[in-house]
Amino acid sequence: MADSGSPDSEPTTRTLLRRVLDTADPSTPRRPRSARAGAQRALLETPSSRRLSSQTKTTARRRSQRIRSIGKLAHVQASGYLEEQTPRTLLKNILLTAPESSIVMPKSVVKPGPAPQVVQPSSRESSRGSLELQLPELEPPTTLAPGLLAPGRRKQRLRLSVFQEGMDKGLPLSQESRGNADASSLTSSLNLTFATPLQPQSVQRPGLARRPPTRRAVDVGAFLQDLRDTSLALAPPGESLTAPVATLPTDTVLEDTQPFSQPLVGRSPSVHHSLPCPSHSGAEDAERAVSHRTRSTGPRLQNNSPGKPAQLLAGKAEVDALAMNFPNTSSSIFGEVGVEPLQDGVGGEAEERTEKSLSMSKVKEAARARGSARAQEPEGHTQVTEAEGSQGAIETKEPEGSSGDCPTSSRRVSPELASSTPEFLQAKRIQGLEPAPPPSTAVLPSEPLEPLSARLPPRARTPGPKACQNPYKTGLSHYAKLFSFYAKMPMEKKALEMVEKCLDKYFQHLCDDLEMFAAHAGRKTVRPEDLELLMRRQGLVTDQVSLHVLVERHLPLEYRQLLIPCAFSGNSVFPAQ
Amino acid sequence: MEEDDGAEEQQRFSYRQRLKAAVHYTVGCLCEEVALDKEIQFSKQAIAAISEVTFRQCENFAKDLEMFARHAKRSTINTEDVKLLARRSNSLLKYITEKNEEIAQFNLERKAKKKKKSEDENKNSTEQAEAGVVESEN
Repeated sequence: MADSGSPDSEPTTRTLLRRVLDTADPSTPRRPRSARAGAQRALLETPSSRRLSSQTKTTARRRSQRIRSIGKLAHVQASGYLEEQTPRTLLKNILLTAPESSIVMPKSVVKPGPAPQVVQPSSRESSRGSLELQLPELEPPTTLAPGLLAPGRRKQRLRLSVFQEGMDKGLPLSQESRGNADASSLTSSLNLTFATPLQPQSVQRPGLARRPPTRRAVDVGAFLQDLRDTSLALAPPGESLTAPVATLPTDTVLEDTQPFSQPLVGRSPSVHHSLPCPSHSGAEDAERAVSHRTRSTGPRLQNNSPGKPAQLLAGKAEVDALAMNFPNTSSSIFGEVGVEPLQDGVGGEAEERTEKSLSMSKVKEAARARGSARAQEPEGHTQVTEAEGSQGAIETKEPEGSSGDCPTSSRRVSPELASSTPEFLQAKRIQGLEPAPPPSTAVLPSEPLEPLSARLPPRARTPGPKACQNPYKTGLSHYAKLFSFYAKMPMEKKALEMVEKCLDKYFQHLCDDLEMFAAHAGRKTVRPEDLELLMRRQGLVTDQVSLHVLVERHLPLEYRQLLIPCAFSGNSVFPAQ
Repeated sequence: MEEDDGAEEQQRFSYRQRLKAAVHYTVGCLCEEVALDKEIQFSKQAIAAISEVTFRQCENFAKDLEMFARHAKRSTINTEDVKLLARRSNSLLKYITEKNEEIAQFNLERKAKKKKKSEDENKNSTEQAEAGVVESEN
């Protein structure tokens, strides 16, 4: 599942699914996304053995899956059965086997070559049982190892006969899941006619058909080149970890299913990068992740290998972490907006935005680590869509630099927004997140420092070292950037620093107050009531304006549901839990 | 009814004015003391401003105290609420805490005194109370 969709591709089912898979938090023990990074097992001599093992397992599986492109359907089905049958695996199978092109070509194209069709329909039929959806497949990569096809072929042969019968009947055979109406094709496989221009190629290896090679050639070449360039660029900066590996900054979002070339290249850098600064990533990522969403689209993918990890991280961060918002100046715009969606709808949004599926937490970490340093142009584009921004949305509170305490750090509330409870909730989550980073496991949900580094190659440098030096303070830099954005004027560095200082004190004070309020009520945990009290003292909540009114005014719908018990209950109010 | 409301409101208003006047007078006395101490003069407008600010701040304090007490699920304002209110100013908080301890100690001593009804015990307790007061003062 290397390909994250061609840069030019519009969001197709495939890309969406991919994004879903990539960004969704893996509930399974193995990390599918990290698998890509693990593709470079050999390269990974990283300390995180855990990651390695998970990666290797997944990588092995992936590789095998990819390799057997033709028989993929059959093989996938087999492997799918072998592995746990989870929606995730099913989706993966679909992505692996479904043809890339979702374009429904005129029937004339479909006609040629019953052979490929034979294989595909048979596989399709067989796969129907296992796969619920069949996405259009592009032509299979020609890199399939013939040996691996053997097992698949056997199965296919059985179905060939069936298919041939169908063919003989003169029904327009749809190539196996070519065509957009894939879902519908399930019912009327024979009636659908999906035409891929490159069908003739698929004749030889129909199972491998993913994308038209013409499309691929350019992309891959350019991409590889970018990767090499970036890797070369990266090497000098001295990634100690990645030194042995040909670090390609990025990610795995390799376009499509060219299993061998890109994954190897892309994975290692991301993996290694994650190692260097796990600590930084923790605090920073939490904040960054939240705020940044991968904005970059296709074109960026190729160019920004680091960007991808960043994006992925961002996406991941958003999904996983509830984290925090770290700012890119550009992202600051999204910050407010982004943060909110983080909460529950984050996953969905992240999927959409993060095109690249590389949302491996590791990748993110790597991206983070590197983020600032790498500032190379290709990387620089990690303009992670900072959706999650600082928002008042509270859920993802980033660990603020101000105080080591989780509650203090977690409050990144824009003073204007009265996001009381959500903040609180987020703060709690952040607390949970903060301990995670230190272990330096790639699983940091929050993430991303990347966005900062991504900006421009020269500038990216500065955030990097800063991030390393003061991971707590980097969280504030996000808000400072927001501040500078809203100022609509260029700001001096010193001014920004002062703003950071003030914000630091403000948040510290805020969190101290909350802590005292909680203690006052004889509790050890800060609860929404404490936050309401704080807001009342601030004057945001008055006798005329209640907390719920503020919630409705400023927070998105998802939060409202969380905070106001009666919001969605219509006329019936259920007892509070 | 309306007349009653009007009269009541008027009464409240006059009451409020009297309170303000009392605050103003107290502020004036305090300012005089400070003026003597620092050898600096206070203008009338300054004293009026200070008293107005004090009055409004007292209103805020009252509201906050009520909020704190309700937050702690109590219906009576406690010294804890007062301490929470005064936490902003370190010196004030310290002072209040000391006073609080003094009062608590004094209450305990008085209770001990009442429990022991013999004269000797009373003498002992008074001695202890004095010692305690001395200690607390120190």
